[in-house]
Amino acid sequence: MLTKLLFSVALCAILCVVCVRAQTPQATPPPPAPPRSGTFPKPVEQTLPNGLRVIVVERTESPLIAAQLLIKNGGEVDPPELAGLADMTANLLTKGTQTRDATQIAQQIESLGGSLDSGARWDASYATVGVMSSKIPQAMEILADVVRRPAFKSEEVERLRQQYLDNVTLALGDPGSIARFVAARVVFGDSPYGHPVSGTAESLTRITAPDISKMHSRYYRPDNAILVIGGDINAKDGLALATKYFGDWQKPTTPLPTMSAPTANAAPKTGRIVVIDKPDAGQAAVYLARTGINRKDTDYFRGIVTNSVLSGYSGRLNQEIRIKRGLSYGAGSALDTRRDVGPFVASAQTKNESGAVVADLLLGEIGRLSSAPPADVELTPRKAVLIGGFSRNLETVNGLVGQVGSLALYGLSLDEINRYINNVQSVTTADIQKFAGTRLDAKTSNIIIVGNAKAFLPELQKKYPNVEVIPVAELDLNTALLRKKQPA
Amino acid sequence: MVRTSIRLVLSLSLLLILQSTGFAQTRMPQLKFTERTLTNGLRVLTAADRSSPTVAIQVWYHVGSKDDPQGRSGFAHLFEHIMFKSTKNMKSEMLDRLTEDVGGFNNAFTNDDVTVYYEVVPSNYLETLIWAEAERLSGLNVDDANFKSERDVVKEEYRQGVLAPPYGRFEYLLQQKSFLEHPYKRPTIGSIEDLDAASLKDVQEFHATYYRPDNATLVIVGDFDQVQLDGWVDKYFGPIAKPSRPLPRVEVKEPPRKSEIRLTEHGSNDLPAVGLTYLTPRQADADSDALRVADTILSAGESSRLYNSLVYNQQLAAEVNSSSETREDASLFLLTAVLSEGKKTEDAEKSLLAEVKKLQDAPVSAAELEKAKNQIITDQLRQRETSNGKALALGEAAVLLGDPSRVNTDLARLQAVTAADIQRVMKKYFADTNRLVLYYLPEATKGGR
Repeated sequence: MLTKLLFSVALCAILCVVCVRAQTPQATPPPPAPPRSGTFPKPVEQTLPNGLRVIVVERTESPLIAAQLLIKNGGEVDPPELAGLADMTANLLTKGTQTRDATQIAQQIESLGGSLDSGARWDASYATVGVMSSKIPQAMEILADVVRRPAFKSEEVERLRQQYLDNVTLALGDPGSIARFVAARVVFGDSPYGHPVSGTAESLTRITAPDISKMHSRYYRPDNAILVIGGDINAKDGLALATKYFGDWQKPTTPLPTMSAPTANAAPKTGRIVVIDKPDAGQAAVYLARTGINRKDTDYFRGIVTNSVLSGYSGRLNQEIRIKRGLSYGAGSALDTRRDVGPFVASAQTKNESGAVVADLLLGEIGRLSSAPPADVELTPRKAVLIGGFSRNLETVNGLVGQVGSLALYGLSLDEINRYINNVQSVTTADIQKFAGTRLDAKTSNIIIVGNAKAFLPELQKKYPNVEVIPVAELDLNTALLRKKQPA
Repeated sequence: MVRTSIRLVLSLSLLLILQSTGFAQTRMPQLKFTERTLTNGLRVLTAADRSSPTVAIQVWYHVGSKDDPQGRSGFAHLFEHIMFKSTKNMKSEMLDRLTEDVGGFNNAFTNDDVTVYYEVVPSNYLETLIWAEAERLSGLNVDDANFKSERDVVKEEYRQGVLAPPYGRFEYLLQQKSFLEHPYKRPTIGSIEDLDAASLKDVQEFHATYYRPDNATLVIVGDFDQVQLDGWVDKYFGPIAKPSRPLPRVEVKEPPRKSEIRLTEHGSNDLPAVGLTYLTPRQADADSDALRVADTILSAGESSRLYNSLVYNQQLAAEVNSSSETREDASLFLLTAVLSEGKKTEDAEKSLLAEVKKLQDAPVSAAELEKAKNQIITDQLRQRETSNGKALALGEAAVLLGDPSRVNTDLARLQAVTAADIQRVMKKYFADTNRLVLYYLPEATKGGR
């Protein structure tokens, strides 16, 4: 079934306001013509006897294909002391199999002109190939080999560990990256989404090759996996390729691992104001962070429309912080929905001196969602932004595979693609007011500023006397306390 | 989301060709376009593609940061931001109302040679956007408050791109130090002092000098009816007069380097970095094709020579890259490495140079050449998945290569590159005397040497 895609919602309403002021034919924009409609591709799916769920979604505009193998667990199953284990495990898939070494894998896939990436994020681990459609059989063979038969040689583990440690060092030089790490710890404390998905300097040194093999044998199994093939390929050919390369992947007799649930720690403290003092920072990164919602929450569409009111070029945050005041190159927010409750983050980078002002503006805009919710004249364009972005994302093979994979990962109907526009359109002003008031309360939000504290701390402390200030050298990302233990 | 990437490195546009190994034949369609020039000098390039109800509109102005006025480095880019403010008939940010608010988007970028404005909208808004682009070509009407606030935004962009990231200043310095005479020595983002010196008067003057129909190329790709589109272009762009004053062009030539330049700088980075640059010819030069293939062989993917040597085998570097950064008047070939913990810049430099020498001393194998070409073709297919990507390729061919049909012939040129060509350009341009070497060391190590 193909569903109509209507880009232009009732926007002539807005343009007509302009039309009223028309003076000469040239002085006002010509109004839009009636919209043309388009269609979204329809995914076809089948579960193989070994439990692997295969989804094919055809899009023939470009001779490109992407195939993504998803494992339904990622960084959230890292043992607390081994943060980064799922990501290292997934990354090592492409660093050697029983019959190919790392160099041969890169050589073979790149000779096809293709790319092969693997890694872990929250709730999933993935390996993805992208190639010209004529090269897909060879690429699928390599994809199956790396997912099913990785070698995890200790020399490759060591090599990757050093690269990860270097990346930690690089990230800790950037105020924005530090703020993201700290925000996760502040919001989630010591529960599974609290650690950096790629590990910390301390946890990375503890991960061993046996830990990695154990992670692989526990989670990488056909009945815990989804294969999405998208692009210039039809369902029949896609299913045949999936069967050929993954059909004989044996399902273990052991029961499936249970899906993660956050450990029942006491809920982290809210309303924290944390400053990471980095005296050499060229700019301050200012973050407001709090819990949001999970992907299956019945408020999902109310949530993403609310976020769209705040975020995007003409969203309220960028209006206030960049367009009106010139305080940042860009301000925005993200409602990151996951299997369990994910974070809501609003952020901007600004000169160190404006750190406190921008923090106030972020908090103020979250509060204003309830006190001054968007009327239709503001809301309609923000819905159009979501719908347009969603539709454009489906125009590329990678975007298409990503969208379909995400729906499948969270056990949602693939047909949600075709209901997306209506779901967005049905959100009302009252919905947003209620969502913001109950799910994004400013009072239980946290503020994190990473920058040269000298420039903004006095002003911040006037308003928030209980600011926690942590020098960057004392920052510990392994714990919700965020501070290294002082030597006794 | 944020308007204005400073230096969008546009890779060469390639034609789609036939590959015939394996599964099935990949079809590689040509980009069919039409070209015409209005009497006021505006060049118009259009390519219809009605597969989805959207359309991409781009205006390429042949003015970039090399044209920044004296003492106003960063001005072309600042001006690009101002182009989103008010005109006679548009209020500030009205472009956002006509694009973002209807489910489309807009953005712009400035590099050394061009300033490009683009929108992607539902195709029923095409006439509206043609009106809007003609409106801002006709003239700006910006007040001082708007000007100053946008200038503050650009200063934050400078801080976010140059000061905050640990290697922002490293990249800035590589650009700045690589040219001695040509205005390419002024990085596109400029400097805080020069931005502070800019005024509203400069804005009006810059618009009058460079924003004229005979310095612009309109590119439209996507869902439209050709007759209707041509009528709209005539109606809205046709009446804009071509000024009689001459269009200034940069005449300065970058002199060849006579000996190696070595520099050491310090920054907020924790891991040292090393960068090498070589002066290479202008983008339209025939050698650009072989240099692009060499660049792909050096650094595209984990089977590339630099990754293999510095990251994988020797574990000297956390990151390594090369880039054939082409420009209209003169280009740069860059090799950079961010070191791994505890490694020495001298060793990384030696290894980068060893890879250069290998390409000079022996031809690449047929398999390696084939791999690079496959990578380039796939890259191009990805770039051209969207109407906006196709329009970028068409605009680049027309404005920077001087011939829009190169959008369909460049892949054949790249296919024709031989192993001997690569060896030849490596010998020709990678001489010791044509090299700049920059060591970028952590501030903490300052004084320790």
